[in-house]
Amino acid sequence: MQDEESLVRRAQKNDQEAFAQLYEEYFDRIYRYITLKIGDAVEAEDLTQQVFLNTLRSISSFKWRGRPFSAWLYRIAHNQVVDYLRKKKRTDLPLEENLASGGDNPQTAAERKLDIERVLSATRQLTDAQREVISLRFTSELSIAQVAEVMGKSQGAVKALQHSGIVALRRALTVQGK
Amino acid sequence: MKNKEFDNILNDCLERLLVKGESLEQCLERYPAQAAELGPLLETALAAREASAIQPRPDFRARARYQFHSALKETASRRSRSSWGWFPRWATVAAIVLVLVLAGGGTVVAADSSMPDSPLYSVKLATEQARLTLTPSQMGKARLCAELADRRVAEIAYMAEKGDAEQVVIITGRLDDKLDLLVVLIEGRGGVSLPGILPAASPPEEAGAPPAPTTTPPPPDEEPPPEAAPPVAIPPPEKGWGGRDDTAQNGSRVQLWNTVVHDAASNQATLRQALDKAPERAREALRRALAVSEEGYEEALEALE
Repeated sequence: MQDEESLVRRAQKNDQEAFAQLYEEYFDRIYRYITLKIGDAVEAEDLTQQVFLNTLRSISSFKWRGRPFSAWLYRIAHNQVVDYLRKKKRTDLPLEENLASGGDNPQTAAERKLDIERVLSATRQLTDAQREVISLRFTSELSIAQVAEVMGKSQGAVKALQHSGIVALRRALTVQGK
Repeated sequence: MKNKEFDNILNDCLERLLVKGESLEQCLERYPAQAAELGPLLETALAAREASAIQPRPDFRARARYQFHSALKETASRRSRSSWGWFPRWATVAAIVLVLVLAGGGTVVAADSSMPDSPLYSVKLATEQARLTLTPSQMGKARLCAELADRRVAEIAYMAEKGDAEQVVIITGRLDDKLDLLVVLIEGRGGVSLPGILPAASPPEEAGAPPAPTTTPPPPDEEPPPEAAPPVAIPPPEKGWGGRDDTAQNGSRVQLWNTVVHDAASNQATLRQALDKAPERAREALRRALAVSEEGYEEALEALE
């Protein structure tokens, strides 16, 4: 991908190609982030789409102030998720039948799907902040610095949440395995 | 303090494991004192990483991409046609003054018949904006809008014949604007900030914060438009302009009615003829123009009823 700053600047100047590149770069990652956050792959589809439409509408308001574009984009996704969760009182969200795992053959895909379902289910035992960190770090592959930007926390606080989140996730996965 | 140190070690191992591609064993060898505690956590992190195999379903990915690109085109077209609305007030005023200064010369006259591929076309648009701004009455503005919509249709046909689909889309946006404005003026909606004329205020300075989420995405209007317009057969209006039974106003309204009926029929015919002649690459855009024109004139005539 081209230098992200120049891509964003071009997108802000109404360059459709630049915007399309940003879309392709982030689409899967935002989808994964949302799926892990809400634990519902189908609802995540609509939310992901909405995130990019919101981004399209508001990209002109983004300003480079030493803050990466990804932090701004994930913040939009975060707001979208918060809005969704506020509207939908979460009880026990159904596990997905529509998860696509990208496996090579049916057996591998089925096994991977089970793994994904286990992780998705286990993340529900985490606090919102822990889930946010786990999602951003391990499915969206953001660095600690980027996660700190998205969450508006210090890097130290994010590292602590990462630690407690992994511990909580391990506990939840262990309980599931029993 | 100890916790903080362990947080840093854990993070370092995660970076090595997940980003740099080191093995679990390599990571643990670096921190033998913490290996017992680190091992299970790194295994868990690897399991969580498995969740990164989640991928959007292919049909969703395709649908989302299509809808996003439609919205992208729509936004680009809207921004392009409303760029006048983003002009600072001083710039609009300066443009009007410039047009007035030039009005005595040949530039404006020459620009008046220019097409979008001409360097004088921007002068033509500026002149039109100035005329709209300086026309005092709603009725006068409405008549002018109808005239400008005619011009846009001629430009669409011209650019379509040249196979320039992109320009057809842009000018269709301008046509849509003019027909919308025509409806606003016919309905005499008070306090409406007329698009493309003097803006009520410049847009607020953005704080750079991401927007609050909305639940209604902009509908990407990509339905295939109908091939032909139904015949226009609407009875002449009986009410006066703005609902008053004033004879002069009523006469003006009837005049406008006749103009719009005539324009609707002739412009639809122009666009259909253009559709027959246009190269394939411009046809989709032209069909969209036809639909916009049909819908816009229908709304204008409904407003006049």
